[in-house]
Amino acid sequence: MHQSFLHKKTAPDRAYLRSLSAQQSAGSAAAPRRKTDSRKKAPEKKKSGLLSVGLGLDMPFLLLVLALLTIGIIMMFSASYPTAYSKTGDSFYYLKRQLIFAGLGVAAMIACSYFNYRYLYRFAKIILGISFAVLIIVLFMPSETGIRRWIGVGSFTIQASEITKFCLIVFFAYWGTKYADKMQYMKYSFMPGMIIFGATAVLLLLEPHYSCIVIVFLLVLIMLFLSGMPLKYFGIIAVIAVVAFVIAFSTGLLGYAMDRMDGWGQALNYTPENKWATYQTRNSLYAIGSGGVWGLGLGQSRQKYLYLPEPQNDFVYAVVCEELGLIGAGVILVLFGLLVYRGIRISRAASDNFGKLLGCGLVAQVGLQVVLNVLVITDWLPNTGISFPFFSYGGSSLIMLLAQMGIVLSVSRTANIEKT
Amino acid sequence: MAKGTNQTFRKRSAILLVIILALGFGTAMFRLGYLQIFMADELQQKATAQQLTDTTLSAKRGTIYDRNREILAESATVWRVVLAPVYLETDEERRIVSRGLSEILDIDEETIFEKSKQSSYYVEIKRQIESDTRQEILDFCEKLSDEYDINSNSIYLLDNYKRYYYKNALASSVIGFTGSDDQGLSGIEYQYDELLTGTPGRLVTATNSIGTEMPFKYSQNIDAVDGSSLVLTIDSNIQAIVEKYLQEGIEDHEVANRAVSIVMNVNTGEVLAMASVGGFDLNDPYTLDDSILAEIAKLPEDKRLEAESAALQKTWRNKAVSDTYYPGSVFKMFTAAMALEEDLVSEESSFYCPGHYTVTGEVIHCHLRSGHGTQNFRDCIKNSCNPAFMQIGELLGAEKFWKYYQAFGFSERTGIDLPGEAEDIFFSEDGSMLPVNLATASFGQNFAVTPIQMATAVCAIANGGYIVQPHVVSQVLDSEGNVQSIVSNDAKRQAISSETAAHIADILEENAVSGSGSNGYVAGYRVAGKTGTTEKKIDENGDGIDDYIASFCGFAPAENAEVVCLVFFDTPTGAAYYGSQVAAPVFAKIMSEVLPYLEVATEYTDEEIESLDKTTGNYVGMTTDEAIGAIEEDGFTVTVMGYGEKVLAQVPHASMPIPQGGNVVVYTDEDSAQIQSTVPDFKGYSINDVNYLASLENLNVSITGATNSAMCYATSQSVAPGTLVSPGTVIKVTFTSGGISD
Repeated sequence: MHQSFLHKKTAPDRAYLRSLSAQQSAGSAAAPRRKTDSRKKAPEKKKSGLLSVGLGLDMPFLLLVLALLTIGIIMMFSASYPTAYSKTGDSFYYLKRQLIFAGLGVAAMIACSYFNYRYLYRFAKIILGISFAVLIIVLFMPSETGIRRWIGVGSFTIQASEITKFCLIVFFAYWGTKYADKMQYMKYSFMPGMIIFGATAVLLLLEPHYSCIVIVFLLVLIMLFLSGMPLKYFGIIAVIAVVAFVIAFSTGLLGYAMDRMDGWGQALNYTPENKWATYQTRNSLYAIGSGGVWGLGLGQSRQKYLYLPEPQNDFVYAVVCEELGLIGAGVILVLFGLLVYRGIRISRAASDNFGKLLGCGLVAQVGLQVVLNVLVITDWLPNTGISFPFFSYGGSSLIMLLAQMGIVLSVSRTANIEKT
Repeated sequence: MAKGTNQTFRKRSAILLVIILALGFGTAMFRLGYLQIFMADELQQKATAQQLTDTTLSAKRGTIYDRNREILAESATVWRVVLAPVYLETDEERRIVSRGLSEILDIDEETIFEKSKQSSYYVEIKRQIESDTRQEILDFCEKLSDEYDINSNSIYLLDNYKRYYYKNALASSVIGFTGSDDQGLSGIEYQYDELLTGTPGRLVTATNSIGTEMPFKYSQNIDAVDGSSLVLTIDSNIQAIVEKYLQEGIEDHEVANRAVSIVMNVNTGEVLAMASVGGFDLNDPYTLDDSILAEIAKLPEDKRLEAESAALQKTWRNKAVSDTYYPGSVFKMFTAAMALEEDLVSEESSFYCPGHYTVTGEVIHCHLRSGHGTQNFRDCIKNSCNPAFMQIGELLGAEKFWKYYQAFGFSERTGIDLPGEAEDIFFSEDGSMLPVNLATASFGQNFAVTPIQMATAVCAIANGGYIVQPHVVSQVLDSEGNVQSIVSNDAKRQAISSETAAHIADILEENAVSGSGSNGYVAGYRVAGKTGTTEKKIDENGDGIDDYIASFCGFAPAENAEVVCLVFFDTPTGAAYYGSQVAAPVFAKIMSEVLPYLEVATEYTDEEIESLDKTTGNYVGMTTDEAIGAIEEDGFTVTVMGYGEKVLAQVPHASMPIPQGGNVVVYTDEDSAQIQSTVPDFKGYSINDVNYLASLENLNVSITGATNSAMCYATSQSVAPGTLVSPGTVIKVTFTSGGISD
C-alpha cells in the first residue's frame, strides 16, 4: 500500500499536471511586457524584472512579513547584545549574522515568489524523500551533547526539522490535492497521514527533537483537516495520541523531554532540586511580568543582562514583552494574526487546490509556532525549543521561513496574475 | 477539483483561521495579559530582587575609653584580599599572580595557584591585612598590568574593620570582645552592641547575573553611620592595680577558681575597677592558657572539645556579676545594721557565745569552737561571732530580715550595664524561711548573692544608707566625639538611716584596726571592712575538702567614704583559706595604692605619724662630713662606705620615703660601690625581728599590712630573699595578722 500511493499515477494527478502547463502559458500571456518567459528557470535570472517586482504580489502580506522581520531583527538585537558582548566581546555579533540571514532570506523570499509553486506538486514525492533523507543524515552528524539536530552546510548549519516541516506541508498539500475525492477513505487520508507522521516522529525521537514532533503532528492534522478528512478520524487520532503518549511516558522514551519538563508550570515555585531546570523559564516570567502593560521601553530590559539565558533564541519574545509591555507584545501578536489571516485569505483565493492547501499549511505553521512559543515562555508548555518566527536568532530557520513566505506570495502572485 | 471538496476546504480553512486566531492567539494573549497585568508586581519584585545588588557599607564600631579617655578598644580599617581568577587566562598568568601574592602575604604559593584555577569572581586569599600590606598589594596590581599585561581586576581589596584592644587582658571580662562579623560577644561589647555598631550603610546597584554593574542607572547610596563611643567608669590604672594584686593572691594561695575584685565609688555607683582574674587576652580570646591546655590534652580525645569550650566559657565569665556565692561573715554588717535600724540592739547589748548555738534542735558552731564568751554588740562584729549573730537574727525575725534583705538590693539584680548578671538564691521567693534558715542567714550562710550585689550593699553602709546604681559606662559619645548622653549617678533609694550606716561604719573601722579585719588595715587611711569565709558546700576541685570562698569587703575613709572594694578568692587551695588570711591582705594592698592614687586625704593617728616614712634628701656632692650631718638632721642613721672625701652616690636615692631612723648609705669612692648586701628571708618574722635582720645587712624596711595587730608576722617582701642589692635599698615587707579564723 505504501508503494501504491507513492508511485501510482492517478487520473487527478495527470489532470493537475496538465493544468499546470496550461497555467504556465496563461501566466506568460498575462505578462506580455516581460522580455523573457523564464519562470521555469532559476529565479535569480528574474533580476531584470526588479521594477515589476511587486507585480501580482499580495502587498499587505509582503508588508506584514517585512514589518515583522524588521521588528524581529531590532528586538533580537536588543535582547542579544549583552549576551553577545559577554560571550564574544562583540555586542553586534548576533545582529550582524541575523542581518546576513535576513538578507539571504528576503532574497530567497523574492525568488520563491517568482518560482511557480506548482513544481512542488510535481516533485512532492521527492520532497518527502528529501525530508526523510535529511532526518536520517542528521543522525550521523557529530555532536558533543548527544543531540543531533543540525546538518552542516559549508560554514552554515541548518536544522533538519525546518526542512522536514516544509517538506511535509508540501507533501500533504500534494496528497490532499491528488486524492481530494478519496479523503473519506481511511486508506487515503488517515493511513498515509499517520504512517508519514509516525516515520518522521521516530526519526525526530532519535535526534531527539520532541517539540518538533508536536509541531509536525499538528501540521499533519491541519493538512488532513483542510484536505477534508472526515472528522471521525480525528477522534481516532486523538485516542491513539493519548495511548502513544502514555506508552512513551511509561517506557521512559520521553527521558530527555521529561528532564526539560521537570518543574514545568512550576517555574515560580521552584525547589532547590529543580532550581536550574526551571531557571530559564522563571527568568522569562520575570521578564514578561516586569514589562507590565507599558513595558520598560525599547532597550531597557534588565533580564537580558545574563539573567535570561540565550535571550536571542526561543526566549526573545520574553524580552519583547519586558521592553514593550503588553501593548507592544499585543501589537506584535496582532501583526502575526493579520499575517495568518492574510495568508489564509490569499490561499483561499488560490487558483488551484494545491496552492490553497500549501498556502494555508505554510501560514498555519507560522501561527502555530507563535502560539506554542508564547505558551512555552509563559510556562504553560514545557521548555522544549520552539523558535519565535522572524524574531529568534538563527540562519536556517529564518531563511526557510522567508522562503516559505515567498511561496505564499507565489500563490498570491499566481492567483492575481491568472485573474487579470 | 470537485465542488464538494472546495466547499469543505472553504469551510475548514475558515475554521482553521478561527482556531488559530481565537484559540491560539487568544490563549497566548490571555496568558500574557494575566502575567503582565495581574502578576506584574510580583514578578517585577522578584526580578528586581535578583537584579539589585545590595552592598553593605560597614560602619566603624565605636571606641571604648576608660574614665581618663584612655583607649581600651578601637576599630581600625583592615582589608581583605580577594582574587578574581576569572580574569586570568593562562597558567603562566596564574603563576605570576600566585607567586606575587605568596611573597606579599606569606601564604604557600601552590595553595594560591590551586585557588586561581577556579573560574570565579571571588576567591578570598587573606583577611585583615593592614595598611602597609595593602600598599604592597596595590603596587603589585600596578606591576601586573604594566609589566605582564595581566588584568589588574584579578586582585581586589575589600574594606573591613578589625578590633584592637590596646590593654590586652586588662578588664577583659568587663570590656568583652567581638566576633568575626564585628558583633559584640561578651561584656560591654555585647551589652552596648547596638550603640557601638552604628548603622551600616547600603549601596544598592543594579548588576547583571555575574555581578558587574548594568548600564542603566540605578544606584542608591545610604551612608554608614559610625557607632557611638563609650566612656567607662573604669579607671585602667586602678584596674591594673587590682589585677596585679589579685594575680599575686591567686599565686600565693593557689586559688583554683579565679578571683574577683570590684572597686566602686560609694556615692555614684561608678565601677572604678572590676576584675575577674585570670582573664584572657581580648585580642586573642580563643587561646587558652598553656596550663589549661595541658590539662585538656590529658583528657580522652572525644572529651577535649567539650572541655576546651567549657574552659573558654570559664575564662570569659565575668564572675563579679555572673557568680553567686554565700556572702558569709561580710553579711554580718547588714544583720547588725538591720538590728540597729530597728532599735533591737545597742552598743550596750551583750551576747553570750559558748562556741555554738542551738536553733530548733540543731547545733550550729562558731568558727571559734571554744566560744567568745560574753561580748558587747561591737565585739560581736569584731569577733565575727556566729552564735551572737544567730541571736541578733532571732531578735529581728524572718519578716524584718527579708524586708531589709530587699532594701539592700539583694533580692533583685542590680541592673548593672553588663550582660549575664545572676540573681540571688534565697530560701524562698517571698522571703519566708525556717528558724534554722534565719539563723544561718544571719551570719551570711546558705543563701547566695552576687559580688556586685554585695559591693552595692556595702556602698549603702559607706554612704549613709543609699542604694546606688552600679554602672560601668558613664558617657556615650557620638561618632564625632560629642557627648550624646551621660549616665545618671543618682541613688535609687535609702535602705537604712544615715545614723545606722555611720554607726556600722564606725564599728567596721575599728574592726579593720583591731578586729577580725585587721589584715585589711591601711596606714593613714581610715579603712573599714569585714572579712568573710564561706564554705561552698561542694567539692569542685575534688581534693576531698569542701571548697571555700575567702572574701573581704571594705571601704575608706570610714567617714565620708569614697571607695568600696570587694575582694573575693574562689577556692584557695593553699594552707590559708580564711578571708582574713587570703582576701584581707590583698584588699589592703589594693587600697594602699588606690587611695593615694585617688588622692584621698590621709589621716594618721599619732602613733602612725611616729612611724611614718620620711623622704631622703639629696646628699650627693656634699663632703662626707656635711653629708653625715645632713642625714642625721633629717632623722636617719648613716653608713659611710669607702674613704673618699665627697659623696659620689647614695642609697636610697634622693626623695625616697624610708622609715624614720632608717639607714642611708653614702658611697665616697668607686670601690665602695661594689659592696652589696644579700636580702634576707623575712617571712614569718615579727616586725622587730624584721628590722633587726634588715639592719644586719644595712637594708631599709618599709612595713605595710596589719601592723597594728600584736600577733602579726611578715608574709611577703618586695625583693626576693637572696637577691644582691646595694646597701640602703628599701625592702617593702607586708605583715599579716595571725590568729583570726575568719
